[in-house]
Amino acid sequence: MTLSGPVFIVGVLMAVAGILQVLRRWTGLMAWASVAVTGAVGALIALVPLDQTFTLGPLSVAPGEPFVLLGRVVVIDAVDRLPLMFICFTALGLFIVAWRLLPHSNFYPAGLAIVALLAGALMVQQVVYAALLVEMAVILGIFPLHEPVIGPDGSRYGGQARGGLQYMTYATLALPGLMITQLLLEQFAIFPSDLGLLQSATILLGLSFAMLLGAVPFQSWLSTVATDGSPPVVTFLFTVTLGTVWFLLLAYLEAYSWLSDQAAFSSLFTVVGLLMMVVGGVLAASQRKLGRIVGYATLVDNGAMFVALGTHQTAGLALTAVMLAARPFSLALMTLGLDGMRRLGQGDDHVDRLVGAAWTAPWRTLAFMVGGVAMAGFPLSLGFSARWGLYRLLTQTNLFQAILALGGSAGVMMGLVSTMRVLLAANRGQVPAKQSTEDPIVLVLIIALIGATLVLGVFPQLVSQLALQMAQEFTFFAQ
Amino acid sequence: MNPFVVWLESFSRFVSLPAAWGIFVAGAVIYVINAWRIRFLALVVQYLFIGVLFTRVFDTRPEMAIMKITVGWLICGALLVSARYRSQALPGSRQLVRWAANLPFRVLILAAGTVIAWLASQRFALPFVSADLGLACLLLTVLAILFFGTEEADPGVVGVGILNLLAALDIFYSAQDPGLLVTGLLVVVNLLVGLATSYLMVTEVAT
Repeated sequence: MTLSGPVFIVGVLMAVAGILQVLRRWTGLMAWASVAVTGAVGALIALVPLDQTFTLGPLSVAPGEPFVLLGRVVVIDAVDRLPLMFICFTALGLFIVAWRLLPHSNFYPAGLAIVALLAGALMVQQVVYAALLVEMAVILGIFPLHEPVIGPDGSRYGGQARGGLQYMTYATLALPGLMITQLLLEQFAIFPSDLGLLQSATILLGLSFAMLLGAVPFQSWLSTVATDGSPPVVTFLFTVTLGTVWFLLLAYLEAYSWLSDQAAFSSLFTVVGLLMMVVGGVLAASQRKLGRIVGYATLVDNGAMFVALGTHQTAGLALTAVMLAARPFSLALMTLGLDGMRRLGQGDDHVDRLVGAAWTAPWRTLAFMVGGVAMAGFPLSLGFSARWGLYRLLTQTNLFQAILALGGSAGVMMGLVSTMRVLLAANRGQVPAKQSTEDPIVLVLIIALIGATLVLGVFPQLVSQLALQMAQEFTFFAQ
Repeated sequence: MNPFVVWLESFSRFVSLPAAWGIFVAGAVIYVINAWRIRFLALVVQYLFIGVLFTRVFDTRPEMAIMKITVGWLICGALLVSARYRSQALPGSRQLVRWAANLPFRVLILAAGTVIAWLASQRFALPFVSADLGLACLLLTVLAILFFGTEEADPGVVGVGILNLLAALDIFYSAQDPGLLVTGLLVVVNLLVGLATSYLMVTEVAT
């Protein structure tokens, strides 16, 4: 029996997700099974050529073979391989991070199902199905996002619903635009002289992606999700789910070249991106809650990616890919730090509740700071290399834009510094003077992630070559 | 053609405009009355009217409309269970009928929304759908926006708003592309929204 690649990938991920849902008692088993299956799927996509078939017992799998369901085509194209690898390997890393943070959580089965749905969205050819699959992935993410966290002493916190509710609302508001775009494109195929259809499709597609990516003025869900949600799941949503949305945007720019050919494309992306960076920077600088800093740092990062695309150059596209690759490292570190701080504050991450927390939980504080510095795009981190490249690219055409972009990043840094002042102050009794012994595995994870961040900061070419290669596969800026 | 289908088609043509307004009245009840039992009944009635409208969209396949009603009622059931749990956990929320706290404001907003939706349906006809279906889509969208903007802490109200928006999209999109795959995926999305809303209603008070 021969299975096509899409059926195998989605089927395996969904099957394991189903099995893990009944094995929630065994956290280690769930975490490592999730790691194994995402690793295997990622390796399959990376290593097996699309035109070859491989055998697994009685099954033959043909990765490049399309799967047709009621006339709709699902296929792994060459350009899909890197996005698929990105979501699989990022999910793998986050399952390891979550192993010690989320005992008995439904994050593992839900995470696998989300990866399956997002992989389906990347592989399916029509916009409408991709939009519906992303919507499903977003809704599935809400279950682990608001799962109450149980502390080692049995205390429970979390479970506030606002973040997930806002996220679900914005994702649903984005859905009509994407689905109607499909109708307009079908109409345009029949009436190719009606350019009004294309203009309407451009506006709808732009608005929908703005909502899905949290562009200003639709940014409120980013900070609310980061404040109310479980930190590892927030990181999953901001890297795997948002990463997929970015790759879908690139895929549509590639498939519908008239989108990037619009006269306003560059200026629109640049203005939206700079607005996101400035607003995110200003808001991050004035935050007193650690979770909100994570949200606004992500807003600034998304803005930087928009600005990079707005340069209308292949180098800008490569910078977008580098920023996307850097995000899992920095956000995973911030997650580990934020989780520790929330535990210290009994679920509250307001800095006034965490005065002197750095002396009680030094490693968690270090993780939050290093992750935050990387997210803000300051040295030494992969994020810095990408942002530096962006400033240089912007300076060639407009120095003022480069200064604005730098200002946005500096805002995140200011938020981190003012937070750090409070965390490093003398302990006034809000947090316990001595923390119960830190989990050694969490310590190892923190050290490994800090090491990886520094190494990639010193040798960014390890990632940038891959990003450039990916950027060259997209031809919409070359036309 | 099957005589039942012919009868159903003429029936749905006759009742679709009243059904559009019925959807709005049911939504208005959910908006102005802050009591989960009444809201549950109103939502059940709203899904019945939505199903009636779907008989116009799927005029040769009435089973699809029945499926939409069944799924809607399943969601109502899930929301009912969560609302009961929530009302037991929160003190002072077990009254049978309780008007929304800012009732005059809500009535005013509702009236303004109705006028806007009505005028919009008269002046800007939605493409691909008949006038009564277009009116229903606009009324559902107005309701969704009102539910999104509510100051209530209950996630169930925003969840109903999301479901109303999805219903509007479903009617509009299915009228143009009544394909089985899109319909099936939209059903799954609706179910997931219902489940997620129920989950959020419970998890917020359980912690």
